[in-house]
Amino acid sequence: MAADVDLAETNDLRRAMARSAWRSRYTFLKRLLSHRSFLIGAVLFLFIVLVAVLADLIAPYDPNKNDYRNLLAPPSALHWFGTDGFGRDILSRVMHGTRISLGIGLSVVVMTGLLGVLLGTLAGYVRWLDNILMRIMDGLMAFPGVLLAIALSAALGPSILNAVIALTVTFTPRTARVVRASVLVIRELPYVEAAVAIGAGNLRIIFRYILANALSPLIVQLTFVFAVSILAEAILSFLGVGPRPPAPSLGNIIAEGRNYLQDASWIALFPGMAIACAVLGLNLMGDGLRDVIDPRLSKVRDAG
Amino acid sequence: MAKKWKFGTTARHIGASLLLASVALGAPYASAQTRGGSITVAQSSNPPSLDAMVTSSQASRNITMNIYETLYGFDDKIQPAPILAESVEVSADGLSYAFKLRQGVKFHNGKEMTSADVKASLDRYKKVGATQTMLEPVTEIEATGPYEVTLKLKSKAPTFLEAFASPRAPAVIIPAEEASKPANEISFIGTGPFKFVEYVPDSHVKLERFEDYSANEAFQSMDGFGGKKTAYLDTVTFRVIPEPGAAVAALESGEVQLLEQIPVPTARRLSSNDDIKIYENMPWAVLTFIFNMKEAPGNNLKFREAVQAALNNEEVMAIATEGLFQLYHGWMYEGSTYDAGDVGAQSYNVADPEKAKALLKEANYNNEPFSILTDSTIPEHGKAAVVIAEQLKAVGINAVINQTDWPTALKIRLQDTGWNGWTLMMGIEPYLGPAALVSTLTGAAPHFRANDPELDKLYQELISTDSVEGRKAVFAKIQERLYQFVGIIKLGETGLMQASRANVQGFKPFRFPRMYDVWLEGQ
Amino acid sequence: MTRFIAGRLISALPVLFVVSLVSFLLIAVVPGDVTAEIAGADSTEAQRQLIREQLGLDRPLPEQAVRWYANLLQGDLGQSYLLNRPVTEAVFERLPVTLSLAGIALVLAVAIGMLLGILAAVRHNSWVDQGSMSVALLGLSVPDFWLGLIFITVFAVGLGWFPTGGYVPIAESFTGWVVSMTLPALALAFTQVGVVARMTRSSMLDVLGQDFIRTARAKGMRGYTVILKHALLNAMVPVVTVVGVMTGVLLGGAVVIESVFSLPGVGRLIIGAIQRRDYPIIQGGLLITAAIFVFVNILVDLAYGWLDPRVRHGR
Repeated sequence: MAADVDLAETNDLRRAMARSAWRSRYTFLKRLLSHRSFLIGAVLFLFIVLVAVLADLIAPYDPNKNDYRNLLAPPSALHWFGTDGFGRDILSRVMHGTRISLGIGLSVVVMTGLLGVLLGTLAGYVRWLDNILMRIMDGLMAFPGVLLAIALSAALGPSILNAVIALTVTFTPRTARVVRASVLVIRELPYVEAAVAIGAGNLRIIFRYILANALSPLIVQLTFVFAVSILAEAILSFLGVGPRPPAPSLGNIIAEGRNYLQDASWIALFPGMAIACAVLGLNLMGDGLRDVIDPRLSKVRDAG
Repeated sequence: MAKKWKFGTTARHIGASLLLASVALGAPYASAQTRGGSITVAQSSNPPSLDAMVTSSQASRNITMNIYETLYGFDDKIQPAPILAESVEVSADGLSYAFKLRQGVKFHNGKEMTSADVKASLDRYKKVGATQTMLEPVTEIEATGPYEVTLKLKSKAPTFLEAFASPRAPAVIIPAEEASKPANEISFIGTGPFKFVEYVPDSHVKLERFEDYSANEAFQSMDGFGGKKTAYLDTVTFRVIPEPGAAVAALESGEVQLLEQIPVPTARRLSSNDDIKIYENMPWAVLTFIFNMKEAPGNNLKFREAVQAALNNEEVMAIATEGLFQLYHGWMYEGSTYDAGDVGAQSYNVADPEKAKALLKEANYNNEPFSILTDSTIPEHGKAAVVIAEQLKAVGINAVINQTDWPTALKIRLQDTGWNGWTLMMGIEPYLGPAALVSTLTGAAPHFRANDPELDKLYQELISTDSVEGRKAVFAKIQERLYQFVGIIKLGETGLMQASRANVQGFKPFRFPRMYDVWLEGQ
Repeated sequence: MTRFIAGRLISALPVLFVVSLVSFLLIAVVPGDVTAEIAGADSTEAQRQLIREQLGLDRPLPEQAVRWYANLLQGDLGQSYLLNRPVTEAVFERLPVTLSLAGIALVLAVAIGMLLGILAAVRHNSWVDQGSMSVALLGLSVPDFWLGLIFITVFAVGLGWFPTGGYVPIAESFTGWVVSMTLPALALAFTQVGVVARMTRSSMLDVLGQDFIRTARAKGMRGYTVILKHALLNAMVPVVTVVGVMTGVLLGGAVVIESVFSLPGVGRLIIGAIQRRDYPIIQGGLLITAAIFVFVNILVDLAYGWLDPRVRHGR
C-alpha cells in the first residue's frame, strides 16, 4: 500500500513539474526576448545567417569566377568590397564564406553536443567510467588553445570535414565536463531519486530527467562553442590547414589577403569583420542566455 | 615571338619601374665602393640546410652561394667558367678531366685548399649530393698533384662540364675533414667571400666578411657564379620573413635593405618611392602543368590534348604571376642558344573550348574526377591550379583541387596514383639548358610518371652529341615531341621582382642574391 | 599544504600520459614525407629510403612508440630530422620567445582587463560601463591573427611606430625586446582583455554590494579607498582562477601570432615542423607546451588555495 501512495505522490510531483516547466519555459522566453544584449546579438546573428542561407541568391557574382582584367580592384560600385588576386568579387566570397564558416560552426556544435552529452552523461552516470573518461578529457584539454586542432587538421589533411573533426575533438572535452557537472548535481535531486525509487529505467531517467535539465547549461556552452569554432576555423584556414582553396571560407580569404595588406587591404578587412559580426552576435546571445538561466548572475546584474 | 602581356595601367607602372631599375644598374656608379656596413636580406623561407651539396632548395642556395664556391660555375652567358679551378684539361678521348686548382685559396678556417680537399668534397658529393647524376659518369676522382685533381669518366659525355658546373645542388669544395661527415653534419666552412656566423631557424642566418678571401684575379669583376668577387659589407644577415607584407613593410621602414622577392603589385606601388629600387629578373622561371600519364584520364592522349586545347594560358599566367609574365611556346627561352623557333607554336595557348569538348568526346571521357595536385607554399602553383581547374570545369572536365603543402605534394607526385595533374614552376632547369630540363622528364622517375620511349631516346642523343649545332637540332625534335604527346604543358614564363633600399649599390639580380660587390652608399 | 601540492602533482601524471600518447599517435598518422624535404625535390627513391632507414622511419609503429617512450623517460625527446639537434634543445631555445609573448600578453590582459572591469563596476550602468563592456566583447569576438594584421598595417606600416615583426632577445636590448613584443602581445592580449574585464566587473559588483563595503562607505570612507582596500583584493580571487585557462588560450594563440609577426617561437617551430614532417619536433613541441600548460595550472591552483584556504581544505 505504501508503494501506491508513493506512486500517487510522484505522479502529482510529475504533473506539478510539467506545469512549472511550461510556465518557466514561457517566462524564460519572455525574459530572454526582453534581454537587450540577447536581442542585439540575435538580430546580428540572424542577419549573418540570412546572408549565409541566401548567398546564392543575393551574391552579385559567382564567388569563384576569375577575372584577370580586374585583379586587386579597390571597392567600387561594381565590387562593393573590391576584388582579390584572382579578380574575384570579395563581397560574393564573403557571403559564401559566412555559409562555410557557419556550416562548419554548426556541424561542430552538433557533433560536440552529441559527443559531449554522450561522454558527459556516461561519466556522470556510470561511476567506474568517470575517472577514465575525465582523465582523457583532461589530457585533451591540456593542449593549449587551438594547438590540438591545428595539429589534428594538419595530420588529417586540409578539408572541411577534417576541420570539423579536429574542432570537435578540441571542443568536446569542455562540453562533456559541463554536461557531467549538471548530471552530477541533477542525479542527486529528490525527484530523480524518486524516479529511481519507482524503478524507472536508466535510459528513461537519463532522457526524461537528467538531460532535460542539463539542457540549459549545455545550450549556453554550445553557443560559445559555435562562436569559438568560427574563430578557430578562421585560424585553421589562415594557417593553411582548413578547407582547401578556392573554397571561400572566411579564413581562406584573409589568408589570401595577408599578402596584399598594403596594396589591397580590403581583401583581409571585410572577411575579418564578417567573422567579428558572427562571433559578436553569438557571444551576445550566449551572454543573454546565461543571464536568464543563471539567477546568480542576474542578481549581480541588478545589484549595486 | 614572345608575347609580353601588359595590360592597362599596370603595364605602364611595371615599365616605369624597369626603366628605373635599368637606369640604376646601367649608370656609372655615383659613389665609389666603400667597405663596411651591414645588410639584412629578407627571404620567405628557412633554408632546409646550409650543407650546400645536399639540397637543391632556392632558399639554401641564396645563402650558401655566398659562403661556398665550386671548381666550375656558370658565367653571365651560362657557359661553364673556372672559379676555384684555374683551368681544365680534357683528354683527346674525352674520358679524363684534369682540373688545375688555383693556389693560395684559403678556407674560412684559415687552411689552404689543396687537391685533397677537392677529392674529399667530390667523393662526398657522390654519396650525399642532391644532383648525383652530375657525377654519375665519373668512375674515379684522383688527386694528381697538390693542386690538380683528375676525374676519369666511364664514357664520353660532351655535356659533362655543363652538368658539373650546375648550381642546382652545387658540388662545392669544403675542407677534407668536414667532407668525411654525413649529410647536414658539417661545420659550414667554405672558400667564399663571406663566412658563416650563426643560423637561428625561423629567424636568421648571419654571415660576415671573410677577410682572407682569395679573389680570382683572372677576372675583372664578378661574372655569373664566379669572377672576381669583393666583399665590402661587414655582415650580411638573411632574415626569414614568411609574410610578404611584413617583409615589404620591413623594407619600407629600413629594417631590411634587400628583398629576395617582392610581390608584383607591391613592386608597382613602390616604383614611385625614391627610397626603394626595384629589380626585375625576366624570364626567371617556367610555369608548367604536368599530367600523371599512368592514371586515367591522364593516360589518354586525346584527353591530354583536350586539356591543352582548353587552356587559356594568358588567364592562368596573368593571375598566377600577378601580371608579370610572358607567353612563349618554346621550352628554351626565346633567343637563347637552344631556342627551337616555331616548333609547337600552333598548339600553345589555344583556348578553344569547342575543340576541347570535341577532343573529350573522342577520348570517351565520362566525368571521372581529375585531381589537380598543388601546394600553398609556392603561390604561383596554387593560383595556377585554381585557374586551370575553373577552365577545365568550363569544358566539362570534373576538375578538383588537392592543395597540400610543398613536401606533401612532392611525395604524392612521386606516386603512380592519387593525382592526375600537377602545377610546377621550374626555375633552374630552363636556365641550365636542354639537358637539365629533359633529364627531369626521362629516366627512372619522369615528372609525368610514364616514360615516353621516344623522348628517352632523344635525351640520350642529346647528351651524346658533340657539337652545339647538333644538340640544337636534337632539341628541336625534343620540343616537337613534347607538343606531340602532351605529358607536360608549358603555361608561360614568369619573372622575379626584387627590391632594395636606394642606398644599396652594386646589386645585380641573378640566380641568387650575390652579396659581394654590393656596398652601402654613404657608409 | 604539502599534501595538497603532492596531490595536484600526482593528478597531473595521467593527464601528461594522455598528452604524450595523443602527441605520438597524432603524428603517426600524418601523411607526407620528410625525406623529400631533406634530400630535395629531385632526389631518387633510393636516397630517400636511405634517409628513412637512418632516421628509423621504416620501423613499425609500436617499435617507434616504445623507443620514443623509453627516451622520453630519460628526458630525451629525440633528434630533429631537419635541424640536426636534440628536440629539447630546439624547443627550449624558442621557449623564451613564446613565454615572453604569452607572459606579456597575460600581464597586459590582466592589467587592462581589470582596469576596464573596475571602471565598469564603479561607474555601473553609465556610459563608462557600457563602453568598457563593448570593448571587452569586441575583444572576445575579433580573430587575434586578423587583429595582428590590422596592427601591422596601421602601427608598423602606416605610422612606423613599431617593427613589422622579428624578435629582439632581452639580453641583446631591453628596449628592443619591449618594442618588438608590443604589437604581437597587444594583439594576443586583446582577446583575453574581455574575459578579465567581465570577470572583474561581476565580482566587483558582487563585492561592492556586500555589507562590509556598505558599512565602510557608511562610515565615511571615500570611494576609491574602498575600492582599493576591500573590493579589489576580493575581486582578484576569481581572476586568478581564469589565469590558468587564459594561459592555455594565450599559448595556443601565440602559435598564430608568432607566424603573423615572424617571431621565432615554439608555435612557429611546430607549424614549420608540421609542414616539413619533422615528427620529433611536432611530438616534443606539443608535449612540452602542454606540460607547461599543466604546470601553470598547478601553480594557479596553488595560488588559489593560498588565496582562498577553503579550497585547500575542501580537497
